[in-house]
Amino acid sequence: MLKLLRKALQVGEATVAYPFKPVEVAPGFRGKPVYDFSRCIACGACATACPPNAITMDCDVERGVKSWNINYGRCIFCGRCDEVCPTGAIVLSAEFELAAASKEDLYCRAELKLCKCISCGAYFAPCRELEYVLASLKQAGLPESGHEGWEQILKLCPKCRRRKAGSAAGTFGRAGKVLGGRR
Amino acid sequence: MGQEVRLADLKAKLKNVIKRSVYVYRVDCGGCNGCEIEIFGAITPVYDAERFGIKVVASPRHADLLLFTGAMTRAMRLPAIRAYQAAPDPKIVVAYGACGCSGGIFHDCYSVWGGADSIFPVDVYIPGCPPTPAATLYGLAVALDLLQQKIKGEQFAETEVTRVVPQYEGVGPELAKEIEQEARRLSGYLHGRRLAAQYLQFVREGDLLAVDRKIKEVIKEEKDPRLAEVFLSLHKIYLEKMERVGRNAG
Repeated sequence: MLKLLRKALQVGEATVAYPFKPVEVAPGFRGKPVYDFSRCIACGACATACPPNAITMDCDVERGVKSWNINYGRCIFCGRCDEVCPTGAIVLSAEFELAAASKEDLYCRAELKLCKCISCGAYFAPCRELEYVLASLKQAGLPESGHEGWEQILKLCPKCRRRKAGSAAGTFGRAGKVLGGRR
Repeated sequence: MGQEVRLADLKAKLKNVIKRSVYVYRVDCGGCNGCEIEIFGAITPVYDAERFGIKVVASPRHADLLLFTGAMTRAMRLPAIRAYQAAPDPKIVVAYGACGCSGGIFHDCYSVWGGADSIFPVDVYIPGCPPTPAATLYGLAVALDLLQQKIKGEQFAETEVTRVVPQYEGVGPELAKEIEQEARRLSGYLHGRRLAAQYLQFVREGDLLAVDRKIKEVIKEEKDPRLAEVFLSLHKIYLEKMERVGRNAG
């Protein structure tokens, strides 16, 4: 009996004092994915990668917004969103205290603006994504003189860009071919 | 409406009465058993839910709190309803795990109704796949009004266009991409990103010679040979790249 008691005192308490003291999580623990709105470019990579579709993206062309939505109640904390995010806008944290009384508290939503095409006026791509592309191009060594032209091209929707390219080709005498091919 | 109010009153009273003796019955509506294992992890001596009087019982007739785990499947919805009806009123209903909260990864399967809330009025959701024992304790404490809820629904909207700068400013995207890819290939996305960031910080700070010197220092001081290896292969990519650029310029 005494031997046992001594042993027990030696070993000490195995029980963690969790609700009264914070519990230590393992390094690399996959907890709540935290979303940084200021770094998101609305590319939708996370929504594509998310296995349970906890992250969804909807494009409302009428209103001109792209909405991002995560449902923590559906998230399986796999970290795929963290892995694919090109800007580090969504990162898994060590937070695990996610219990909520209402379903609304399990959602995180964001709305990002879409850019209008300067030619036809239709919404086509998130503004931030275009800005990001331009910034990347500049860093890759886009010549200083070409910035203006690139900005103009980026603000055209794919349809208008194709049309413009076609008409530009037309001035070189190939319009008939291009238009004929499309019809 | 009147009945609802009375139910809320009854629940508050129940929480007051069962303070130190909560009988929990878990209902598996079609889960993968991950949640069950974590619930049993929560009642082992390490987390020891029984020190708060939380006890897992074998019959819904003894239960104060029902834990619904797993997605609500077509085959298990009737047994789940029977378990719910067998538990004496008032009872606290908890949706446990990603599947219990919303169907989880199985939400679009043909036989899945959704979470426990597709059939029962749920008091508390405990997300996680599966929730860790600590998350389980926290969730139960929230269900019993012992702890405050921490998570809040968030809503952002863009009012004016903000600029998002690429992650590694000052480094060519091509080089940054190659370094990051190699680092991820060698040590996974989590550590790969950290190592790539560390390496690219050197690149950002100095020219080729400075980077070379710094990397040699890092490798000399690094105790883990695997990390040194990763740094070496990243450095190799950088050197090759610079050589290519130099040749083109020359």
